Amino acid sequence: MNTPLLGPFGLAHTAEHSLGPIQQVNLAAMRRYGNTDEVDFAIVGVGAAGGVLAQRLSRAGFRVVAFDAGPFWDVERDWVSDEAGSHKLYWNEPRITGGPDPIALGSNNSGHGVGGGTVHWAAFVPRFHPSDFREYSDDGVGVDWPISYEEIKPYYALLEKEMPVAGPLNFPWGDPHGYPYGPHPSGGVADILVRGCTKLGIRAVAGGPVAITSGSHADRPHCIYRGFCIQGCKVGAKQSTLYSHVPDAIHHGAEIRANCMVARIDVGKDPDNGGPIVTGVTYFDGDGHERQQRAKVVIVSGYAIETPRLLLNSACPGFEQGLANSSDTVGRYLMVQAGNVILGRFAEPVRMYKAPPANGLTEEFYETDRKRDFARGFAIQTVGPLPISFAKQMMVAKGAWGWGLRQVMMDYNHWAAFGLLGELLPWADNRVTLAEEKDRHGLPVAKVTYSLKDNDKKLIDFGAKKTMEVMWAAGAEEVVQEPRYAHLIGGARMGNDPRTSVVDSFGRSHDVPNLFCCDGSILPTQGSANPGLTIQAIAARTADYLISEREGVMRRRPRPGVVGAVPLRRDLSPAGTSGRGVPRNKG
Amino acid sequence: MNKLRNPFGPTCTNLAPLYQSGDRPTAAENMDRLPVEPTTGHPLAPREQPGYYPGYRTLAQQAYWDEATRTVVLDRVNHVPPLRFFSEAEVRVMQAVVDRILPQDDRIPTKRIPILNTIDKRLAEDIQDGYRFEGMPKDQEVFRLGIQGIEAIAQKLYQRSFAALTVLEQDRVLETLHDGNPPAGEEYWKQMSVIHFWQLLVQDCIEGYYAHPYAWDEIGFGGPAYPRGYMRLERGDPEPWEQGEQRYAWAPPPGALSGRFAPLGVEAGGKTPTPGQEGTH
Repeated sequence: MNTPLLGPFGLAHTAEHSLGPIQQVNLAAMRRYGNTDEVDFAIVGVGAAGGVLAQRLSRAGFRVVAFDAGPFWDVERDWVSDEAGSHKLYWNEPRITGGPDPIALGSNNSGHGVGGGTVHWAAFVPRFHPSDFREYSDDGVGVDWPISYEEIKPYYALLEKEMPVAGPLNFPWGDPHGYPYGPHPSGGVADILVRGCTKLGIRAVAGGPVAITSGSHADRPHCIYRGFCIQGCKVGAKQSTLYSHVPDAIHHGAEIRANCMVARIDVGKDPDNGGPIVTGVTYFDGDGHERQQRAKVVIVSGYAIETPRLLLNSACPGFEQGLANSSDTVGRYLMVQAGNVILGRFAEPVRMYKAPPANGLTEEFYETDRKRDFARGFAIQTVGPLPISFAKQMMVAKGAWGWGLRQVMMDYNHWAAFGLLGELLPWADNRVTLAEEKDRHGLPVAKVTYSLKDNDKKLIDFGAKKTMEVMWAAGAEEVVQEPRYAHLIGGARMGNDPRTSVVDSFGRSHDVPNLFCCDGSILPTQGSANPGLTIQAIAARTADYLISEREGVMRRRPRPGVVGAVPLRRDLSPAGTSGRGVPRNKG
Repeated sequence: MNKLRNPFGPTCTNLAPLYQSGDRPTAAENMDRLPVEPTTGHPLAPREQPGYYPGYRTLAQQAYWDEATRTVVLDRVNHVPPLRFFSEAEVRVMQAVVDRILPQDDRIPTKRIPILNTIDKRLAEDIQDGYRFEGMPKDQEVFRLGIQGIEAIAQKLYQRSFAALTVLEQDRVLETLHDGNPPAGEEYWKQMSVIHFWQLLVQDCIEGYYAHPYAWDEIGFGGPAYPRGYMRLERGDPEPWEQGEQRYAWAPPPGALSGRFAPLGVEAGGKTPTPGQEGTH
């Protein structure tokens, strides 16, 4: 009684690293480079972008070392099906947050360890809408991207297969499309979202789009609906680059150098023309020893805070204000999305801890509506806070403490939660700078300054009210909200003009020909879509560029003024992920 | 002076007092400590397991958990970390504070959850959350200042130490922090934001209490769920091994200020507080 047939579950003790119950990787057999070897690419950060870049560049035959400040997880051993025990998955090194509207960091938006933020994301993967790429032209706000939706579209389709994404056959918003894997069953919260939206005549979808397998996929099992997505998916069903791309990278000769914190990018002179080039990186290894790795090209993929921090910490003669910062744009235009959590109490139980938190959404309010008094829009999505997160939300949403907190928590199973996901605009004074304070390596820590502007405040106000309306329409007896922000974007934005951007549309820095940034930091705007898919798509596109422009990049030739389209490489997907059968839907 | 009963069962190695000897609650004060039956106003006797899921035990499912999770959760239950960070005097105040922020008087003593020890462990081992609000000292200093501030308010309002106050008086002291309007201790509050201190304090208590299987049993949460997972996703249906709800009427102790829901305070200058945030989507 109360034990499984074959006794309690135990760990399989093998020499291999487990990546879920089936997939394993043998790190002892991983190729390793010496510090004096000049590798082709040094990638800083193995998260959403770094994982995809390492995979593609190694598959194309380049010599790649990818650094991560955190560990290479053995997920059977290191991850737990437990909220409090998952603290180590987040970036917990010190940072300072300030300004009129300070944003929370840590568990809110920053990953630590190989896989980065994709280890603890909820894995909602909507595409950006075509309008996101031209919002200055259309709406007079933010900035246009140097690329159009059409240029990134094939990479969306490719990554949706590689992750892979489960979702509806007919996703009606933006550029309508369908998903390769069938949608997940609805949990209680998605039922409530669909019910509320239907009452109000709002279109909604359930069961995705989410980067969680709804059927077994090569050596990754399907989802078991346990609701611990944000605590790291032990099942192997939710995509992280640790599952989907890093094993393929290692298989093709990439070295993943974990527990190594890159301190600065090394700068030298091009022997041919005397211009500035990067020569590698200086880093602290797991024992705290300072080391150097030589590389022909450096790609910074540290996300919206650590990427600008590393560029600023790499200031040197000739780059006194920070590396690649002649535009004074490094660290600027940092964005978060409005992420208010709207909580509704229902007479009947919901048990919102079951099913993936990312389970249903509507993008009906995504686009600018001239009838509203603000530009751009928002999405409404399901979320599923576990008890600790929910209690903290109640501390804010209801001012709960003491007996009141105990009382509301006893009704945990009666609550459902939606997340507002609203587009906040890029502003120059929302930025990352260096603080006086130093981390344990003696490196200045990042200071983040953030404030909401008029359009942002109006959007949040309208979006939160609309989300509450949906919750009421679904039959809630009480609806409260916690103001909050989600995700990070910007800090090293792409653009065609070197005076107002840090990198070009392929992530190549305007100032140094063999220095690239590729991650969420280079996105100029963020739409009302979770950024994980777009970050991985631009990484695949940058990889195609690096492969096709290999001569110019390796020889550190100056960045050309204009680069045309580069050929899409369809032969670089991880094994078993690039088959036919992706539904086409022209909507 | 140090004859203390053990509120956390026999596994606790370093005991924090629930009440100071000499400060044992009177029968009348017990009335202020216990939830009541709302229609009669009669106090409800402490239970082994409060909440609407009597007899439900997540720990009974531990053989279905993966080994890593089982190890972490059982360690939390069986090895209460010793107090290392707080001084003896600080423990007296903090224990009384924690007992009001997440009161456990409705639990029988052996089924109480050791919150203070988890806070102490976090501070002793310098486990941080990855960011600090500008103008806030490090978390360790925040607690040291906060304890002094709480003592200053207790002295100003009642001319006694916080730990020696009645529970209703303690609620009143803490409510001034929740409201962002402390009537004393300015020398401490000018070194940090009251609201950020309050949120850190409440969050830390939450992380101690709702990480514990006893709390999961209380609220009917499924607990660890790998590798088994869930099969009944809709309508709040319980799994075969979960339990349906058996509600009963109860209300917080009639005088308890924390039983009311009042919005978090705003500080001088009208600044809305920044919320405690957890990754959700």
